Amino acid sequence: MLSQITDPLRPAVTRRDFFASMSGGLGTAALAGLLSSDLYGTNGLLAAESAFPDQTPKQPHFEPKAKSVIHLFMNGGPSQMDLFDPKEELTRNHGKSYFDKIAGEVENPGAAGALMRSPFRFAKYGECGMDVSELLPHLATQVDRISLVRSMYTTNLTHEPALFIAHCGRMTPGLPSLGSWVTYGLGSENQNLPAYIVLDDPAGLPVNGVQNWQAGFLPPVYQGTRFRSTGKPVLNLDREYEEAESVVKLERDLIGTLDRIHRRRRTGQPQLDARIASYELAARMQLAASDALDISQETAGTQKRYGVGGKGTDSYGRRCLIARRLVERGVRFVQLFINFQIWDNHTNIGTSLPAACRKTDQPIAALLEDLDERGLLDSTLLAWGGEFGRLPIAQLPGDKNVLKAGRDHNQNAMVTWLAGAGIKRGHIHGTTDEIGLKAADQKVTLHDWHATVLDQLGMHHEELFHRRNGLKERLTSVFPARVIDEICS
Amino acid sequence: MSHVRRLSEMSSIRTRLAVVAAAVAVPFVDGLGAEPKAEPVGKPEVRVRAIFKSRCLECHSGEKPKGLFGLDSREALIRGGESGRAITPGKPLESLLFQHVQDGSMPPGEEKRLPKGDVEDIRNWIAAGAPFGPKGRLPIVVTQHDVYPILQLRCVVCHGGRVKKAQLDLRSRASILKGGKSGPAAVLGKPTESRLLKKIHDGTMPPRRDLVAASIKVIEPGEIAKVTRWIADGMPLVPDPPSSGQVPVVDDEQRRFWAFRRPVAAAVPVVEAMGRVRNPVDAFLLERLAGKGLSFSADADPVALLRRATLDVTGLPPRLDDLDRADSGRSLAGAGWDAQVDRLLASPHFGVRWARFWLDLAGYSDSDGIQNADPIRRSAYRFRDYVIRSLNDDKPYNRFLLEQIAGDELADYKRAKIVTSEMADNLVATGFLRFVPDATYANITGFVPDRRDVIDAELEVLTSSVMGLTLKCAKCHYHKFDPLPQRDYYRLAAVFKGALDENDWLKPFGTKQFSSGPIGFRHFTVVSTEEQSAHDAHNSRVDAQIAAARRDLSEMAGVARKKHVAARLAKLPVAIREDVRKAVAAEKAKRTEVQRYLAEKFAPLLTIDDAELKKLDPGYAKAIGETDKRVKQLGGQKKEQPFVRALWDRGSPSPTYVLIRGNYLTPGRMVEPGVPEVLAPSGFELDVKPPFPGADSTGRRLAFGRWLTADEHPLTARIIVNRIWKHYFGRGIVGTLDNFGETGDRPTHPELLDWLAVELVRNGWRLKSIHRLILTSSAYRQSSAVTDRQRQVDPENRLLGRMPLKRLDAESLRDSLLSVAGELDSRQFGPGDAVSARADGLVTAVRGPRGWRRSIFLLQRRTQISTLLQNFDLPRMNPNCVQRPISNVAPQALHLLNNKAIRELADRFAERVEKQVGDDARRQTARVYRIALGRTPGDEELAATVPVLEKLRREWAAELKNDQAAARRRALGNLCHAVMNSAAFMYLD
Repeated sequence: MLSQITDPLRPAVTRRDFFASMSGGLGTAALAGLLSSDLYGTNGLLAAESAFPDQTPKQPHFEPKAKSVIHLFMNGGPSQMDLFDPKEELTRNHGKSYFDKIAGEVENPGAAGALMRSPFRFAKYGECGMDVSELLPHLATQVDRISLVRSMYTTNLTHEPALFIAHCGRMTPGLPSLGSWVTYGLGSENQNLPAYIVLDDPAGLPVNGVQNWQAGFLPPVYQGTRFRSTGKPVLNLDREYEEAESVVKLERDLIGTLDRIHRRRRTGQPQLDARIASYELAARMQLAASDALDISQETAGTQKRYGVGGKGTDSYGRRCLIARRLVERGVRFVQLFINFQIWDNHTNIGTSLPAACRKTDQPIAALLEDLDERGLLDSTLLAWGGEFGRLPIAQLPGDKNVLKAGRDHNQNAMVTWLAGAGIKRGHIHGTTDEIGLKAADQKVTLHDWHATVLDQLGMHHEELFHRRNGLKERLTSVFPARVIDEICS
Repeated sequence: MSHVRRLSEMSSIRTRLAVVAAAVAVPFVDGLGAEPKAEPVGKPEVRVRAIFKSRCLECHSGEKPKGLFGLDSREALIRGGESGRAITPGKPLESLLFQHVQDGSMPPGEEKRLPKGDVEDIRNWIAAGAPFGPKGRLPIVVTQHDVYPILQLRCVVCHGGRVKKAQLDLRSRASILKGGKSGPAAVLGKPTESRLLKKIHDGTMPPRRDLVAASIKVIEPGEIAKVTRWIADGMPLVPDPPSSGQVPVVDDEQRRFWAFRRPVAAAVPVVEAMGRVRNPVDAFLLERLAGKGLSFSADADPVALLRRATLDVTGLPPRLDDLDRADSGRSLAGAGWDAQVDRLLASPHFGVRWARFWLDLAGYSDSDGIQNADPIRRSAYRFRDYVIRSLNDDKPYNRFLLEQIAGDELADYKRAKIVTSEMADNLVATGFLRFVPDATYANITGFVPDRRDVIDAELEVLTSSVMGLTLKCAKCHYHKFDPLPQRDYYRLAAVFKGALDENDWLKPFGTKQFSSGPIGFRHFTVVSTEEQSAHDAHNSRVDAQIAAARRDLSEMAGVARKKHVAARLAKLPVAIREDVRKAVAAEKAKRTEVQRYLAEKFAPLLTIDDAELKKLDPGYAKAIGETDKRVKQLGGQKKEQPFVRALWDRGSPSPTYVLIRGNYLTPGRMVEPGVPEVLAPSGFELDVKPPFPGADSTGRRLAFGRWLTADEHPLTARIIVNRIWKHYFGRGIVGTLDNFGETGDRPTHPELLDWLAVELVRNGWRLKSIHRLILTSSAYRQSSAVTDRQRQVDPENRLLGRMPLKRLDAESLRDSLLSVAGELDSRQFGPGDAVSARADGLVTAVRGPRGWRRSIFLLQRRTQISTLLQNFDLPRMNPNCVQRPISNVAPQALHLLNNKAIRELADRFAERVEKQVGDDARRQTARVYRIALGRTPGDEELAATVPVLEKLRREWAAELKNDQAAARRRALGNLCHAVMNSAAFMYLD
């Protein structure tokens, strides 16, 4: 009879079966071990079938190159032609009118000016000869460690939906983000720290706020956990009220005793073991998180290299350094945000873009170099990029003063780079057209980019799914997506 | 000449058009009309015919080929399939047939995939014009159904039914020919003379600077070619699909799948263990258990049962007086339990608890989350309140559902003299399909594909929640597992098109910031006459006060002015004083010569304007300031016009087309509103008619709603009883609550499911009747203890030989914490309660004057979800949540252990206990257990707890400089906190 009622699409053995068949008095250490072992073989979408979603390690689809990801999200839309993609034609045609050719693709038609050359100087760097603007002197020394993708594009030119596309694959809120998918698929190497950690800017949230790292329809355990680089590190990690340690210990021990009595009277209820384990994990997490965030354990030299204590670089430098400490500890997915949107240079690009670069350039270069020196770049995937690019025409401020011009949003071309595990070193992929308006050769979508990140982690984007109302919901949804093989080593 | 030959097949306009076509051949070269060069055609055709024969004809031939697409005759190839045209001669990439073989979706199955060579042959064959049979190439036929969608997409927003710029309506052949201000938009057979095309070619239309404001894009060359061809061909019309008698795709064999058959109540089985049968539910379950040599577990302990039932039904722990009754034992036996169940079902908390499940299905949220500012949906709470009230009133489920699908078509609210509260409720109910995140508030995110996303999401809410279908899979293709052709998806879209029309859109909320352009807002201001009158009366009262304040001021000004004028007059020589006064006061026309002179000279002196008066009269100046302040303050008391988050029919939907591969740029067959074919008898048609005479409403949703809620509907009753079952027993009779199709679970107890469904209908669709059946069954009343035998034979408890152990869901947990702490404010309804977000991300509810209200009344803002609720699996909505996960993770423990608000609730709990039982440690322990867990502590628990409580008292006494009373209270707080953190509190036996 039972065979009739078993879902044919599910593996014959589920976690629930497994637990149900175990004897009652299971130690929590043994439980954790069992949770982490693979019960299904290699192609199961383990979390999907788990009766109790958790972050224990799951088997990838194939041999992974990367164990961890650090996503350096550049909120606002960094300007490709001012950072990585110099355009001679743009310089030549500086001042010429162009709006009519791109009407319908400009968010603020009223402010649209003429074609505008980059105000910044470029030079070629590294053995790969990568063009880098004068605004990124530190990254320029690291170009032989990264693969630059110049031919990316997206499908929306407003921040909020474009951010949702970048993080979740579609333009509406409420869907799982990349980090959630990754930890849903793989769990984490470290059970004492959250699997998906967000290092947001103490100065404030990015656009879309906490929705950037939500788990959507995946179990909430896969949503990003915010770690703060200053002040109290994690929500509820420490007691928010004053109480003597002796009192706290008595109370905690009492909870443990009561739970064990409760458990003993209820054999064959694996949920209760898992619950006891979660309370023990909570206690371990308190120690592990404080330790991971304690950058005073780093040498003065290391701190300085990241720009900790430096003017402008301190905040982002701390987060980059903490990111390294987290992947060192086996955290699966670390995501760095900057408050609001420093790359949204609608006006005064001559001063606002250099400021954004100053804040991030040195810390990011240090992170690349440091990870590599410690051998961590071989197992860590680093991803840099925003939600869209910018237009080759000027955007004029209200007073139409061209000296204060900036650039408006552009969905048809954007620049990103990837580095580390599985990624070619010193490589340039794709081109834009002659003025940097549109991705031209070897175009890459954000879905391709998502597929590529998953691929380095040993997951195929079509096999990482969550069943919902008959569909295998995926990060790449029904959009065509391909791994950017050209940048993979 | 090839043009002539091809066109000659259109018999009606043959001769005339042959000439025209030759004349306008040139513009076609870049577009659709690109003619393949005449080559020897035999070879590719022969090869392709061979491929068809060996690989396709098995399914795609004969009278009723699969997907209605035959590959066995020229006519069939021209006709295409149920989705529309399959071959566009000369354009392999635009041909559905080629797309399917290229991506391997046809023939179905990895092993049947066509080899590359075959795919190339098909490509070349289509590129060569798809020659087939003696007549050669397939004709390129352009009809109104190729052109109307283009005009809808690019032009109609300004030249259509709602906005008719230059008096031009481009929605039909007739209106195009009629044209607008400047004359006809098209000249039959003469594309180059047609104003429509001229305007497109010279780039004036659609106007470039207005593209974004109208959320449209420029017209594509391929589209221009189609319009050109259509005009050149004489704008031929083919009949619309017949409103009845569509060629069936689904057959009766497919209708025999269990879920698509009408439920029939089987005879209640007679089982051996008749002693355990309290009602038929038990008999069905026991029959299956007996088959495995199992039976029900023993009845649960009465107190455990009462706690279980109270939390299941109301989401709150039992009250002390209910517990006392349970203690006496007799009250829970026999009729005593039935009475207890009735009490629970009559509780106003019943609706609060069960509305939450419905809100999950609707995807309820108090904000859109789509903008960084995340503005509040200020009227969403009306829908939440509607659901709570409906459930508490035990509104028949078929009515409840009908109101939510077509509440605007149930009564003629537009012309009603009085909008009754029932009519108003019906309108609020339509908010059901208004909760998905909607990015179209801004022009730049409001293009047709963005709007389609909204429509698709709303249809997903509907089909996943109450239809148990995975119909969204048919958005792009015939459903891979269920008999759901693609056209079923679009027929359903057509049902909703009176209200959700991507070609006649409304933005989701009305803010001026994004309001430039021709598109209106979904801002619906019809409320009950009673509410409106009260609102108007209130504002009139305020207006009257404002007017009075202004009047007082102006009277004061009059008096002051008079005084100052008099003073000035007094300064004039007495001789002329009176004359001057008279002259200035006299009517201008009637002044004498002298008076004119005097008036000219003295009027400026004797006319005191406001500014001057203010300077002259400090008292008046002060009064102005005071009045302004008062008016401003009164203005603040005026209330915003009430509005409702509603969905309403606008009476003039655009035609609906199947979108080939779900792509809005490739419309296929036109379809009429309809229901999934497999769910209705062959030949069934929706009875669509205006809901009332002269209504500006299509009646489509009403017809659909009546079909969906008919007694004989195969799914509707089954789905809702299955959901109710799930919330009591932890798993549905069908495990996949949202999927009753082929890939869903089969029912563990099909007869029981059907019996319950029939019972629901028999009881007038009253949901409480099902609740009552379940709650009074032996199945529900059993213990949750697991035996070794059960673990071996039925480890997953599919047969329900025991109750499952259940964790409290997020709301029940939080509401229980508040309740035991005595901090629960039981007031209901109205706008959501505020939350506050701390810098580190902690989101907590703000305490009101009487504590906190239940979690359902907390503002559900997408960017500020209560951290506690979220930690315990409150879902994110997109578009809805059909089943919540239950996780078991460290942040839950961290929150309950370390969060200050929880710790303070424990202290409130302690105060309550101390007040009730004094300071004896044993009595305190017993009372904590009683309130939190409903029971007395066991010996082992008592032995483990009391000494710790005493130790805690000593520790606190040392901390608090020997203040024993304070120490006892603090220690008790720790005990309460420990119990609030315990597994016993969080799990239901």
